[in-house]
Amino acid sequence: MYELKNNKYEAIVIGAGHAGVEAANALAVRGHKTLILSLSLDGIANMACNPNIGGTGKAHLVKEVDALGGLMGEVADIATIQTRTLNSANGPAVHSLRAQVDKMLYQRTMKKRLEEIKNLDILEGEAKQIIVDENNKICGVETALGAKYFAEVVILATGVYLNSRIIIGDHSEWTGPSGFKGSTLLTQNLIDLGLDIRRFKTGTPPRLLASSIDFSKMEIQEGHLGNPKFSSMTDFDLRNDHPCFLTYTTKESHKIILDNLDRSPLFNGDITGTSTRYCPSVEDKIVKFRDKERHQVFIEPEGADTHEMYAQGLSTSLPFDVQEALVRSVPGLEKAKITRYGYGIEYDCMNPLELLPSLGLKKYKGLFAAGQINGTSGYEEAAAQGLIAGINASKQIRGEEPFILRRDQAYIGVLIDDLTTKGTNEPYRMMTSRAEHRLYLRQDNADLRLTEIGRELGLVSDERYDRYLKKEKELKEIRKNLSEKYKVKDIEYIFERRGETLPKTEGVLAKELLKRNYITSEDLREISPTFASFSPENVKIIETELKYEGYLRKQKRAIKESLRLESVKLPEDMDYLNIDGLRIEARQKLNKVKPLTVAQAERISGVNPADITVLLLYLRKKNAKTNIDDSCSPETDE
Amino acid sequence: MKSDTIVAIATPSERAGAIGIIRISGSNALKIAEEMFSAKGWCKETIIPNKMYLGKIKTKNFLDKAFCMYCKAPHSYTGEDVIEFHSHGGIAILRGIVREIVDRGARPAEAGEFTRRAYLNGKMDLAESEGIADMINAESEAEIMQAFRLMSGEISKAIVEASNHLLEAASNLEAALDYPEEVAEDVITPTLVELKKAKEKLTKTLKDSENRRYITEGINIALAGLTNVGKSSLMNALLRDDRAIVTDIPGTTRDVLKESFMLDGVKINVFDTAGIRESQDKVEKIGIERAKKAIEGADIVLFVMDASLEETKEELSLYEYIKDKKHIRIENKGDIVKYPRKADITIEANTSKNVDKLISLIMKKTGVEKSLNGMMLTRERHIYAVKEALAHLEEAIKAYGLVPTECTLVDIKAAYASLLKITGEDLSESIVDKIFSKFCVGK
Repeated sequence: MYELKNNKYEAIVIGAGHAGVEAANALAVRGHKTLILSLSLDGIANMACNPNIGGTGKAHLVKEVDALGGLMGEVADIATIQTRTLNSANGPAVHSLRAQVDKMLYQRTMKKRLEEIKNLDILEGEAKQIIVDENNKICGVETALGAKYFAEVVILATGVYLNSRIIIGDHSEWTGPSGFKGSTLLTQNLIDLGLDIRRFKTGTPPRLLASSIDFSKMEIQEGHLGNPKFSSMTDFDLRNDHPCFLTYTTKESHKIILDNLDRSPLFNGDITGTSTRYCPSVEDKIVKFRDKERHQVFIEPEGADTHEMYAQGLSTSLPFDVQEALVRSVPGLEKAKITRYGYGIEYDCMNPLELLPSLGLKKYKGLFAAGQINGTSGYEEAAAQGLIAGINASKQIRGEEPFILRRDQAYIGVLIDDLTTKGTNEPYRMMTSRAEHRLYLRQDNADLRLTEIGRELGLVSDERYDRYLKKEKELKEIRKNLSEKYKVKDIEYIFERRGETLPKTEGVLAKELLKRNYITSEDLREISPTFASFSPENVKIIETELKYEGYLRKQKRAIKESLRLESVKLPEDMDYLNIDGLRIEARQKLNKVKPLTVAQAERISGVNPADITVLLLYLRKKNAKTNIDDSCSPETDE
Repeated sequence: MKSDTIVAIATPSERAGAIGIIRISGSNALKIAEEMFSAKGWCKETIIPNKMYLGKIKTKNFLDKAFCMYCKAPHSYTGEDVIEFHSHGGIAILRGIVREIVDRGARPAEAGEFTRRAYLNGKMDLAESEGIADMINAESEAEIMQAFRLMSGEISKAIVEASNHLLEAASNLEAALDYPEEVAEDVITPTLVELKKAKEKLTKTLKDSENRRYITEGINIALAGLTNVGKSSLMNALLRDDRAIVTDIPGTTRDVLKESFMLDGVKINVFDTAGIRESQDKVEKIGIERAKKAIEGADIVLFVMDASLEETKEELSLYEYIKDKKHIRIENKGDIVKYPRKADITIEANTSKNVDKLISLIMKKTGVEKSLNGMMLTRERHIYAVKEALAHLEEAIKAYGLVPTECTLVDIKAAYASLLKITGEDLSESIVDKIFSKFCVGK
């Protein structure tokens, strides 16, 4: 058999979607010779569904990926054609940047970025099997062509491509999304490796031709001005010249759907994969919420160089003729021409409880997984996992401890902890309500939270690090000036403007002003030349810290004990089934999850506080026997 | 509500009369003890650690003699400041002391929490850790089993309702935050209504439970046996005068006599049934019906037999009648056993001999035994949890509309989490589930 000459790598990434590109980038930047395989090089970072990046919870992920030196933020900024800040009526913790992105530009930009990365080879090809030696050690990947590529770590980032089947009414084909071919060979190999494989389902709405749409019947949604950017490396102003449009389904639409339910693969039993509540199809919404008179439909541009529009809200796997009727029942779409029909897509993925919090597989050291194969949904969730899998694959190569972000450090930590501690029974989407440390995990401080960590990981460039240091320095300056005092009579107009009564004191400090819920950092910059000399964004961050102060303290108090338990490690090979005193349910759950810390064990549903104490007692005994020093050094309370 | 000082009763479940030990651990332990205990030399400046002080302990309702010892951090079981009170072990006394300590800012400990702290502070005594493991979960299991049973139906219902209101409130606001473009309806006004309803429920619950001196339900014991086998003597032996007799239900006929007493925080109802036999007498028939009902409703039947007399056909048929219920066969008149029978225990009701053993057997057979320790604390924990929830809720309502939604949610979720400690449910997914069952969101 013909042997390739240059087929020795340190790492191989299977799949070049949003997870794969981040994983490959992290590995290559950390100096590892890396190969990334993609079924089609035109599918690199393909946005197969909605043309947006960001949104609630997701914007936070993108900002965090960016702070850790990931690619998504920078490329999204380049490809953005409109931005809005969601939740601007609420506090900064839930402000979420959401960008309309030019899909093709995003894809091209990301492909070019990858091609420019040192240490990284890009190859079109289908992975057929993971090469594993007799000791279950990962050795590399064999492609459908029979070519073998060797590496000690492999990252699975297969997205929705494993045994993917597209369904439109009674028509279905075994193919990938967006007209790309699917992967038919790898799943069986993963099953043979003993992995718990399951089937999930997602879907996408029809695309429409802009010139056939009557936008005058819709509400126009322009972008907002003054939004932040995803990347702290972006200096240019983001484009904001492509509006979206809002229209609604009608009674007629609902009748069309209900009349054709027997032809809906979701309801007639053809689709068996588990769909997600987070992106319901329109037929799902209408069946589940029958009383709701209308449902929103957002018409969004697919890009700046195309007239195709995305019909957000009409995700469907109904037959093509029903889709035609459905679209035409929506105001403004009466004459709309469908350019691509919506479809449902079923794919194979893996139970995330197969994973350690490093995103390495429990059963195979050297094998990692990221993105939709882990049961998530969304580009941002995929990117976040790709980055972490890439970092930890590199850590593995170097023989270093895994890198795990805690729930109180980042949304990325919440995402991966949820997946690997609780698992998921449907495609998982990030939501801000999942983050118990939400007030602290903001988009405005993602760089403050994570740049230093990214720098230590070797992923943060000098330029990015300098920008971070500069920001830190200015924040420090601002904090120093918070005791600046103003005479109340000099700043009366600020209170009057808001219709508030004047403070009874003669003078008032800057920090006291910012703590008041009706006074903003802009007000402060107006009355004080000192604060006017600082950047508005940074004064705003300080204002946020001050306004949240009391609530942040409350939250911290509630979770203090858990944080102490984060430092108590659990061995990976612990046999929970034989720990006396643990309840049977707790034994089984613990054995399935194999938590790395006692804090993680505590978060498993079905494990109660008494079980945790039993576990601690067991550790004490075990460590005494093996003479391992288990003294953890907890900080003293208060 | 802030406190990381915890309190628990450290002595295993001994019956009334024994010494009880109450342990407090945490940064406020000493301060609390200073406030409620007085003895010669017992003041901050002069206290000698690890020394027993004899003095007086003061609660809102009583003053009692007690010993108190202070173990200074880190030289204590948990590695924190620890206070131990050694007091009379009566239920009312122990509960009164615990409640006083809680009122002064400590929190009732969770199962195994002292041990956990000892571990985290590197103070775990290996010898001590042997064998604790089984106990911890046994205790907590028994608690979960008993907790709702012991709470009156009304109170548990009120807690479930309050937590449902909080779930509605939290999911309303969370849905609006996570799906700002899709949740078009006003959630702010209805959420405030939910919060107020929850507050009302909790306030009433707290008031009710403070007023309720005893647990309303309890263990029902039926005494069965032929006439003159010593049922009444046994009843009297059970109701020793050092046990508080709770009620004498008015209207109870002499056919079924009900007496109740408190045993380690559990109310024990004893039903003395008339001998059950076929009868034509109308009045007697009514009595027999009542006796049958008492046996049916009993958690356990004490079948009393006279060991001085031969086993009769009547006795056998009466036993036949109760044998499918949980029961204990008791051989009475143990001093003159002429006709020994198969029995679980032999007693002398007249002299109270072995009656204590009988009580242990009852406790064991009814499964209450292992929970005794936890139960009282469980009640304190429940009350504490409701108070805690109420405090968070009040803050949420006070600042409602003045602070951003995500801040209000900190308080609402904290209140909800406090109530979930009672109902034992899982917080994390319940809000997400509620959002998607209520709102048509996601695209």
